[in-house]
Amino acid sequence: MNAIEVNHLRRVYRAQIGVFNRSIKEVVAVDDISFEVKQGELFGLLGPNGAGKTTTVKMLTTLLIPSAGSATVAGVDVVKGANEVRKKIGFIFGGERGLYWRLSGDDNLRYFASLYGVDPSVSKKRIPYLMELVGLKGRGNERVGGYSRGMKQRLHVARTLLHDPDILFLDEPTIGLDPVGAREFRNVILDLQSQKKTILLTTHYMFEADALSDRIAIINKGCVIAMDTPSGLKKHVSDLSVVEVETFGASETALEKLRALPFVDSLSIEDREQKQILLVQTTRGAEAVPDVMTALEGQRVGRVIVREPTLEDAYVRLVGGAA
Amino acid sequence: MNYSNLFKYWRTVLTVAEMSLRTQFSEGFVIFAIIFQPMIIAILAMFMLKDKGGDYAMFVVVGSGLTGLWSSLLFVSGNSINVERWTGTLESLVGMPTPFEVIVFGKNLANVVQSLLSMVSSYTLAAVLFGYSLTLTQPLLFFITLFISMFAFICFGLTIAPIFIMYRSVQQWENAMEFPVYIICGFLFPIALLPEWTTPISYLLPPYWAATALHGTSTAMMPLNQVLFSWAMMIIFSLVDLVIASQLFKIMLYKARVDATLDVD
Amino acid sequence: MNTFTKNIYLFWQGTILSYRALFAWLRPVTYMASKILMPLAQMFFFVFLGSYATDGTATDFYVIGNAIQITAVSGIFGVTFSVGGDRDAGTLPYLFGTPANRFMIFFGRAFMHVIDGTIGVIIALTWGVLLMGLDLSRTDLPALGLTIIITTFSTCGLGLLMGCLSLLTANVMFVNNFVYFSLLIFSGANVAISTLPVWMQVVSNVLPLTRGIAASRMLVAGGSLSDVFPLMVSEIGIGLMYGLLGYFLFAWFETQAKQRGTLETV
Repeated sequence: MNAIEVNHLRRVYRAQIGVFNRSIKEVVAVDDISFEVKQGELFGLLGPNGAGKTTTVKMLTTLLIPSAGSATVAGVDVVKGANEVRKKIGFIFGGERGLYWRLSGDDNLRYFASLYGVDPSVSKKRIPYLMELVGLKGRGNERVGGYSRGMKQRLHVARTLLHDPDILFLDEPTIGLDPVGAREFRNVILDLQSQKKTILLTTHYMFEADALSDRIAIINKGCVIAMDTPSGLKKHVSDLSVVEVETFGASETALEKLRALPFVDSLSIEDREQKQILLVQTTRGAEAVPDVMTALEGQRVGRVIVREPTLEDAYVRLVGGAA
Repeated sequence: MNYSNLFKYWRTVLTVAEMSLRTQFSEGFVIFAIIFQPMIIAILAMFMLKDKGGDYAMFVVVGSGLTGLWSSLLFVSGNSINVERWTGTLESLVGMPTPFEVIVFGKNLANVVQSLLSMVSSYTLAAVLFGYSLTLTQPLLFFITLFISMFAFICFGLTIAPIFIMYRSVQQWENAMEFPVYIICGFLFPIALLPEWTTPISYLLPPYWAATALHGTSTAMMPLNQVLFSWAMMIIFSLVDLVIASQLFKIMLYKARVDATLDVD
Repeated sequence: MNTFTKNIYLFWQGTILSYRALFAWLRPVTYMASKILMPLAQMFFFVFLGSYATDGTATDFYVIGNAIQITAVSGIFGVTFSVGGDRDAGTLPYLFGTPANRFMIFFGRAFMHVIDGTIGVIIALTWGVLLMGLDLSRTDLPALGLTIIITTFSTCGLGLLMGCLSLLTANVMFVNNFVYFSLLIFSGANVAISTLPVWMQVVSNVLPLTRGIAASRMLVAGGSLSDVFPLMVSEIGIGLMYGLLGYFLFAWFETQAKQRGTLETV
């Protein structure tokens, strides 16, 4: 049995616009999404902002009713058997909200444990264990309001593990965390993975998805546009190499010239303080470098690297938006 | 849902009540609604009713305590779900196996228990500041009435909360609903003063029966059959409220999941 | 634009925007509820309580007192939210970052509430006439109107001060509720001031509303403008005093906040 099965799920939001002339506008958040997640698998859901990741997760966690299609979690329909599903899942929506800031960390957990129907004698042991697992040992008596963002997000992980669910939904759990915090967080996720939990993770950090996921579905505009293992996805771009060029204030005309080159598959630009990194995807590998440099003549250029494509390059090519 | 859940989840109800007491008690507005506002109303009423003589002090203590009970029910219980929505905790609460009514019941229990402080603070005010010696005429009956009243208030609050959530326009009438109940339920003056056509409305409101029985057992010798009648009315209304509330919650939660209103964004 | 028109413009903008911000979320019907029903209910409550206390012999006393008291809904709640609302919305740093004339910003926030409060009192008095047998046949109505405007103005003055205090205490709801309900005791709306303990009488006399209510009762009973003139002058004085105190506190708050870098968090 698959832990999660999603069949042609669709969700439309109806938004009211205007104060005086109220009219209804329909927004399709999830158009048509299908996938399965096997038991014990860590499944990544990747996509740009607004692609429909969170909406999908909310439908699977029984917080939204789908407009069409169906889904089962642990073999139970998420609409008809909402309450059954709730007993078996845990979920986190990234960010600091969703906790009682005026209560201590321990009290938050005690409260949620009671709502999950965890026996007090069990939760008495489980809460310290979980606080240790997420690296909050010794901080349980402090008010959550005083926690750092990373601590709050880790408390969410503890919260969602209180009833020892088999299936976890983590919606952008590392969003807004500093690099160190995010890494610690990923270690917690790896830990859960080793406990054979089924995890559905959404993120827009590519390396995170690459490092953690067994399989990934890339969604864009409410549809799945690719689904494979990370290495499988990278095969989509195995014909490509990436030329990374460090520039300092490259002009628009130079960039236009670069884009116009026939062998340039796509060009994306990352800003890093005063310099920019031009990422040129090309099928010609190192041979492309001289022509790239010619196109950039007259611009201040730093380091140039030719490298293998990453998951991010695959994503850029598939989503096609960032060029 | 069926309310056997309240027995099944009694421990959860108590934990919810405990946690909401802890979160709310540091809230300035809550403190105002349950302590300061009833005290100010008590001070006013004591000055105003001074020349009435008799047991007016005890009458004021009970009456102003009831105003605190109602205001906190209206504002705190009525808004409790909205507050969860703003803090982002509503999704967690809904996405849990515990029936939502159980959670709200626990919250209302906390509100009603804490608003008993209204009566305590008015009592202290009258006894200490104004120096009255206050005695209850029928203490045992009074405390039983108080207990039943609390239950009736909790159940009444259960029907208000989902209505406020589903119909935001109704919630905007919240401010306009505070004083009419003070008036029509006879908290601080008998409803005999009001036009006759309002009497049936009073009879339909559980706080009226609470006020009648609480006043009757604290400042008069209310005949037992009348006391029992008030209790019966409160219990009947509570049961009706529970049935209505359970339907409302079902509709509300389904609607929220269709309209995507469990979270603010 | 020259400085003068610029300041007028600023004043006007603060006025309109702060008022709109306060009520924009309400639909027309519910705006009516908060403006018409709430005051009516509160007035009814105290009038009934007063009639109960006096066996119906002094209804007018309570009707007038509580009708004038309605001005505090705008003067205290409206104004404190207009001043205090900036912090909740996180717009305070931007406001303090502008070169705009602080005086105009500050008083602009109260202006609309003076009008609002005046209308509120007129509605309440109308209820009094229609439903509670208030007799205005011997009343100098223009003088009563003037009294209402002045009383509203002075109450808004207190509101400005309270709004600034709420910037400091971070608890708008507590501050304004407390002041509003205390006014119910001290203003003489429900209890004749002469029957209060002496220390309470002293407090009554330095608060807005007290004189306005007294003057209105005199006017309804047939008094003339010249009878209430001294009361009105002191009422204006009290309003100015609180308004200016509020303004200086506002200015002080700005300097403090800038020095300590606590614009968002104080």
